[in-house]
Amino acid sequence: MKYLLINTDIISEGYVILITGLLIVFSALVTLALFFKYGLPVMLYVYKVITKRKDKKISEIKRTADKDFTGEIAAAIGTTVHLYLSDQHDHESAILTIKQVKKSYSPWSSKIYGVQNRL
Amino acid sequence: MKKVILIFCVLSLLIFIRPVLGLGTNSNTSNNTLNNTTITALQVDDAPQQESVFNAAFDGIKKFYGYTGFANVTSGNLIMILIGIIFIYLGIKFDYEPLLLIPIGTGVILGNIPFVAGNQTGIYEAGSVLNYLYFGVVKGIYPPLIFLGIGAMTDFSSLIANPKLMLLGAAAQIGVFATFMGALYLGFNLPEAGAIGIIGGADGPTAIFLSSKLANGVNILADGTTVKNLIGPIAIAAYSYMALVPVIQPPLMRLLISKEDRKIKMKPPRAVTQKEKMIFPVVALLLTLFISPSALPLLGMLFFGNLLKESGRTERLADTARTKLIDIVTILLGVTVGASTQADIFITKDSLLIFGLGAISFVIATCGGLLFAKFMNRFLKGDNKINPLIGAAGVSAVPDSARVVHHEGLKSDPSNYLLMHAMAPNVSGVIGSAIAAGIILSFLG
Repeated sequence: MKYLLINTDIISEGYVILITGLLIVFSALVTLALFFKYGLPVMLYVYKVITKRKDKKISEIKRTADKDFTGEIAAAIGTTVHLYLSDQHDHESAILTIKQVKKSYSPWSSKIYGVQNRL
Repeated sequence: MKKVILIFCVLSLLIFIRPVLGLGTNSNTSNNTLNNTTITALQVDDAPQQESVFNAAFDGIKKFYGYTGFANVTSGNLIMILIGIIFIYLGIKFDYEPLLLIPIGTGVILGNIPFVAGNQTGIYEAGSVLNYLYFGVVKGIYPPLIFLGIGAMTDFSSLIANPKLMLLGAAAQIGVFATFMGALYLGFNLPEAGAIGIIGGADGPTAIFLSSKLANGVNILADGTTVKNLIGPIAIAAYSYMALVPVIQPPLMRLLISKEDRKIKMKPPRAVTQKEKMIFPVVALLLTLFISPSALPLLGMLFFGNLLKESGRTERLADTARTKLIDIVTILLGVTVGASTQADIFITKDSLLIFGLGAISFVIATCGGLLFAKFMNRFLKGDNKINPLIGAAGVSAVPDSARVVHHEGLKSDPSNYLLMHAMAPNVSGVIGSAIAAGIILSFLG
């Protein structure tokens, strides 16, 4: 690769990287997609076979139990919980307490030190 | 309280009385010797001792003024400080990614306070505190830690439920490679162009990681020239365009996707078992890293974080990774990236070009995702059809672009909730851009 970098011009090298890069990104994510489409059910099936020792078809492993628990229900529950939690703040005890603050004595506006008063 | 004030008064009196007593007056004579002597010569009859004291004090003030920001400020500094304030304003007022824009904005202000070089103040001066914090950016330490947190936050279930949406994340990476070519045509050399291209991946940590490896101002090219330090401009461009996703993407969506297509309702994703969620990070880690080993720090941490979350046994670790750890690293990353925009290094023609290329790369990435989604729809039948809008979420920018897709979908049909579906290309975009970064790194690093 270093050899290529030195001896060809930059733009054509760029196109090489462009094409191979895109191909690799696609191939990586296609591999992932294919694996999770086809490989994972097989893996889960094999796992089931090993642990349960029962002969089951791949289609049976699909989540029959929680079929009705779709994303929409999850979203609804999530929203409810969120609304409930954010609502909580509104219900406050509504009890106000007035705290008495004691101040030390200060004679700055005391009436007894007026001009009229004689001590 | 009174005692404190008293002690303060006594101390300040002592400090001010020092020059009057003739102590510490030997610090002048450097700059204004001529000035001093003339003035003292003129008034030598009156009270020479006292005059020299005042001159010394005046000199001290002058010298101090020489060290202040007012004396060293340049127009570049002022422009950058203004930009920093705009960032903070955008973050607070419009809620554009405030967790990023406010630290970066503050960093921009910090980095552009004018100072006298040589006192270990600036971020580029070896030994300064900011320089030590910046080390994590230059050596690419922070981005993998951020990815750990992102992994511990992300729920890949929508992607596991509908694996074909991964292709949308790959399609949006066209933006990366198209910008790479654009940068080459504009005269950047290969490593710099690679680092600029990754802005199209719409992923701040990835952009910082790649630019710290390729365009760090240290690497030496085959022809003997040193690459430029483009970490600052690239990071700022990536983060600011990520914050501008709600502005950039909707017009493109409306332009490329017809009204009917925007109304397509996708069937809800199937529920995914915990076992599948646990298998996903391990398998995805192995598959992606065997294909692109250079992305190891990023993808390794991403899937490690996700495994912590999904394993069900390490909730404590996952919780730290997705809250405290990522917060700490975000603060450090934001401030230092912001501070790296020191005006004399940042305001160059290259930075402007990078900002231009960044905008184009976002547009191309969004278009790539949208058009590929339309293309995929040709092969899909019935309720398997996908809403092409979610293609736009293939640029990473988690979770903002998914949110934008959701809002755009709601505008066309108020009962069409696309958020869950859009999260799939969104997270696969993160994986895709990390793989793209790995590829570019293995070609050019």
